[in-house]
Amino acid sequence: MAARDQHGPDAPWPDPATPEKNKFQVVGRAQRKIDGLDKATGRAVYTDDIQLPGMLHAKILRSPHAHARIVKIDASKALALDGVHAVITGADLPIKYGVIPWTPDENALALDKVRFIGDEVAAVAATSEEVANKATRLIEVEYELLDAFMDPVEALATKSPQIHETPKNPERGNVSKHVELEFGDVSAALEASDVTLAQDFRFHGTTHAPIEPHCAVAQVSPDGVLTLWSATQITHYVHRALARVLEKPASQIRVIQPALGGAFGGKSDPFALEFCVALLAERTGRPVKMLWTREEVFYAHRGRHPMQMHYHTGISKDGKLQAVDAKILIDGGSYSSFGLVTTYYSGQLLTGPYDFPNYRFNSTRVFTNKPPCGPKRGHGSVQPRFAFEVQLDELAEKIGMDPIELRRKNWQGADTKTVNGQRITSNGFHECLALVETASAWQERRGKLPHGRGLGVAGSMYISGTNYPVYPNDMPQAGIFLKADRSGLVTAFSGANDIGQGSSSVVRTIVAEELGLDPLDVRVVAADTDLCPVDLGAYSSRVTFMVGNATIDAARKLRKMVVGVVAKTWEINPRRVFMGSGEVFDLENRGQKISTREAFHLAETELDTLGTTGAYNTPKLGGDYRGGTIGASPAYSFTAHVVEVTVCTETGRITADNCWIAHDCGRALNPMLVAGQMEGSAYMGLAEANLEDHDVNRFGLHAGPSLLDYRIPTAVDTPELHALIVESLDPEGPYGAKEAGEGPLHPALPAISNAVYDAVGIRLRELPFTPGKVLSLLREKAEREASSTPQEVH
Amino acid sequence: MLRMQPFQLERPTTVADAARLLTELGENTMVVAGGTDALPNIKHELFTPKHVVSLADVEELRGISIEDDGTVVLGAMTTVDAVSKHAEILARVPALAQACGLIAGPQLRRMGTIGGNVLLDTRCQWYNQTYFWRKALGFCLKKDGSKCHVVESGSKCVAAASNDSAPVLMTLGAELVIFSHTGGERRVKLEDFWRADGIFNKKIQGHEILTSIRIPAPAEGHRGAYGKLRDRGAIDYPLLGVAVRLDLDGAGVVADADVVLIALQARPVRIKKAPDLLRGQQPGTEAFEAALADLAAAAYKQCHPMPNIPGDHDYRREMVPVFVRRTVEAAANNSGPVHHV
Amino acid sequence: MRVLHLEINCDRITTAAPDHWTLLEVLRYELGLTGSKQGCDKGDCGACTVLVDGEPVLSCLTLGATAEGRKVTTIEGLMPAHLKSGGQGPDPVQEAFDRCGALQCGFCQPGMMLSARALLDANPTPSRDEIRHALSGNLCRCTGYTQIIQAVELAVAEAAGTEPQSPSWAPNTNPWKQNERLVRERSAGDGGGVE
Repeated sequence: MAARDQHGPDAPWPDPATPEKNKFQVVGRAQRKIDGLDKATGRAVYTDDIQLPGMLHAKILRSPHAHARIVKIDASKALALDGVHAVITGADLPIKYGVIPWTPDENALALDKVRFIGDEVAAVAATSEEVANKATRLIEVEYELLDAFMDPVEALATKSPQIHETPKNPERGNVSKHVELEFGDVSAALEASDVTLAQDFRFHGTTHAPIEPHCAVAQVSPDGVLTLWSATQITHYVHRALARVLEKPASQIRVIQPALGGAFGGKSDPFALEFCVALLAERTGRPVKMLWTREEVFYAHRGRHPMQMHYHTGISKDGKLQAVDAKILIDGGSYSSFGLVTTYYSGQLLTGPYDFPNYRFNSTRVFTNKPPCGPKRGHGSVQPRFAFEVQLDELAEKIGMDPIELRRKNWQGADTKTVNGQRITSNGFHECLALVETASAWQERRGKLPHGRGLGVAGSMYISGTNYPVYPNDMPQAGIFLKADRSGLVTAFSGANDIGQGSSSVVRTIVAEELGLDPLDVRVVAADTDLCPVDLGAYSSRVTFMVGNATIDAARKLRKMVVGVVAKTWEINPRRVFMGSGEVFDLENRGQKISTREAFHLAETELDTLGTTGAYNTPKLGGDYRGGTIGASPAYSFTAHVVEVTVCTETGRITADNCWIAHDCGRALNPMLVAGQMEGSAYMGLAEANLEDHDVNRFGLHAGPSLLDYRIPTAVDTPELHALIVESLDPEGPYGAKEAGEGPLHPALPAISNAVYDAVGIRLRELPFTPGKVLSLLREKAEREASSTPQEVH
Repeated sequence: MLRMQPFQLERPTTVADAARLLTELGENTMVVAGGTDALPNIKHELFTPKHVVSLADVEELRGISIEDDGTVVLGAMTTVDAVSKHAEILARVPALAQACGLIAGPQLRRMGTIGGNVLLDTRCQWYNQTYFWRKALGFCLKKDGSKCHVVESGSKCVAAASNDSAPVLMTLGAELVIFSHTGGERRVKLEDFWRADGIFNKKIQGHEILTSIRIPAPAEGHRGAYGKLRDRGAIDYPLLGVAVRLDLDGAGVVADADVVLIALQARPVRIKKAPDLLRGQQPGTEAFEAALADLAAAAYKQCHPMPNIPGDHDYRREMVPVFVRRTVEAAANNSGPVHHV
Repeated sequence: MRVLHLEINCDRITTAAPDHWTLLEVLRYELGLTGSKQGCDKGDCGACTVLVDGEPVLSCLTLGATAEGRKVTTIEGLMPAHLKSGGQGPDPVQEAFDRCGALQCGFCQPGMMLSARALLDANPTPSRDEIRHALSGNLCRCTGYTQIIQAVELAVAEAAGTEPQSPSWAPNTNPWKQNERLVRERSAGDGGGVE
């Protein structure tokens, strides 16, 4: 373990005088967050908190039709309204974009067609939000209605009208993406399996619902430099998309992410409001802000894809998985967003923590006339994971094996390769299982609790970033600048988006650790494309891993410079020079010491202005086949949950009482933040299972675009969450760290389903687990048992 | 953010002034008490008043008092939070405290008033939406349109009365005191107050002000409870509400009973058979349990939740007998409210 | 437009706003007190919670004009009030939230902390269940409420001089103890500045 604990060829050397346990000075401790008190005191500035002199307010006119051609737009009345400064329509922003460069199918404002109720049609900038609202209603749009599809099965079967026309290939119909991959010989392996199960599962739509609605502010300087402040988790991609759509050199665009009020994947596409405020600011010569209402956030969506899944799995009598065959229909909504990746992820990310030699998946993403789906926390893999982990539970029962034992038995282990060719390095899943087993008193209680109470287990795997950058390039995926100041302060410039998960705090922790500084002597400037090196953004759970490694890189370079100069001054071997506790001292003559500040002075005197850069890029990984890099990650995290439920057989209500979450995060750089991510993830998964439902009604209208009707749990709806941290020390992670922000969501849903089975003997294979569904399954069960009783008598 | 359409605000400090303003300002004037129902509705443009008369400064409308004969008088502007925590309310009419304590969430209870809750606008999934949403729908019978989307081809609005306090007050025989500039004071029994019309389900006019609610002294052996079905443990409106009053005689036998449900249709629904079925029964006995089962069955037969408010209406119907039975039991055992958290 | 005389965070303020503006609009867009957040538009989320006469209410459903004659406390007012009353640093609730990691995105937390402050003012020793109920009108999407509840319990424990319950990830310890110290005590002679 000690060897793997080292990072890179130029590892830090611990102070031999400190005990092993405290080898780190900052890493591993529950540190406050870098921005915690700013947020606690109301000082932190979020995008809508920005007020600029002379600022205009913009609003968007949205489509009232689910699918229609735009025949004519007349904005003359809106333009004539007092206080209106500009109106723009699709014709003003004709260039298509999309976060995935292969599928640019979005326009900031509809160019020819609208594709869901809420699609953006025109934008107005006016002296106030009220005037802008009034003006949007004065814009006259003539539509020619088209047949709309709400059901993906119907959209797949009906090739016309196409939601996105492909004149060269009309046969494509409404297919957004299709992926079919097979590893091994699945049919033969299923044939040869002792026990097989083939079942259908259904996952509904859910959405991110960050408490902060989307907001953007743009300002254009007289010399043409556009500055955009946006509530985004992908500053860099927004930067690129703006340059493309506005046909403006990227060097003349600056994108800044202010404090961000939650995202969860919901702010990881470029959005209409960003392009609109930019263009409106250019047109009017004034700053322009657009703040979306909660209703508009529901239309922007990009949340969890509904999936209809069929899993056919074979297992041997002694509990070894033989083959998995999956067929998945994905409801994409009206645009591609990350859909290409979603379609791959729906299959590619299932191949751990269990080993199975044969695997096939066939996933089809279909366009429908609904708010577009995209990446929600656990992108693409939460749905298949739900289905598979429930099926594993059923297989365990079939062969008479404890569900934890079954999972343990099929654990793939560390330093291995998955059936689809992904490299697994560290793998703490075994320990995760052990922890939740003990903490939940599984052996003593599972199957033995009174009727109505039960325990369920589930496991999962998730990526720590992806090898596949969203646009192909060989430049670093993450970069950091460090500036060492004569005051003793070190400032890190990080492109990473701190969306509340604490990425800037991670940067501070690492800089403080490497340079032996008090964390208060490290500041972080983040997510400003003018000031910070490129980072690809806060998605795919990539930030701690990639930005962490880049930070280590930069900090070690800086330390080497400082240590080198101090060693030269003291005329000793640099390996004797130690930086810790804000001081630099000689390990063999501890009386010989100076403050870090003084060391910076020496170094600056000797070497000139002190600063370094650091970068991280992934090693080349992934299977050797088309799509083999999608799902390839430098490291994978692992999670196991046990959920305890109470099921009221009279009301059908499922109450999650406890959720034990064991998560292998590699190393907890700050265990308090890791636990926060684990708890938040589990909460979100439990909520998806029991409460939340993002859907449209029979008219294609969002069924309830508000935080009253989209029910995210309150403090009284949330169970006791018990975060149990597992540290497998990844060989490539920063100090061994991996992700913690998405993986721990996955097992929550299947674990509830499995717990409900333990409690009352029904299998919930369709989400959400509404009380009505529970009651109807209980009735079916009672009827089954009533009709089977006579047979048992024979 | 969702903005309100402009209006002129009036802030009278006495009931007389408020009533005079309402008469003088005429149509297109709206009374706002706590604002927790009115303001979202204005934001949704369900109402676009030219004038708003706020009762926030009318101190005489606040407070709870007990008259010599035991009548409980609730000032209409008393917050539901205050009602839910008031010692005399908890002691005398516990079901009312329970119902008020389960309304929405903590902040909304501190703002929302008992008068406002009694006068709460009916609710419907096709109605409590933004102007954009309703326009995309083509509007509905209750507001701006001519079609009902709950009962297609229906000619009567079936938006649901969703006020938790109303069924409890009905079981308690409460009386509303209403004041107007032109007509002075009038009183109306709450059970006579409702109209079977979801568009406007109350017999009160725009220039009138609900000033207080009078609850006659409960019987000696009064027991009460409230049961509420909702998805979340806070914030949500009822998917079903059940108010129960049991009056026990000296021997602990039910002398009178009343069961009223809410969140079904435009008016609160009284279970007609409740008094006959429960009278003469002693809680805890098998006969009581049997009567309760009959009552639950009768309630199921009488109540037909519709897809007016969100949620599965078949499930809501299934819960009618369950919540009726549980709430009666809770009343008998003084163990209310019936609520999942 | 109406001239408003408000008392906000102990300051008497004169401002002007249209009649139909909510207190939230007045605070954020007239007074620049942007600590109060807007999340749901209409009273569903609690992010705009402020204290009016000490009681947590929703500023998005309170007309600005009706706040006249009442004492309004926003998140910006907690630390100054704590300092004024002889305390050091932020309000103990704010401190506890920060020390417990309860502030992830932080957007719901101004409202959450004001609900917590009001709870502790009324009941200095709430049970976990009472904490959950008191905060049930404030939606948080990041934390799963666990670290929020831990923060309130930490504030309660420290006020009472007792030990808080340990979190599952650090059994039998008080991992927040080390976070007590906020401002580094600098050694004598270390000016901390540039020479």
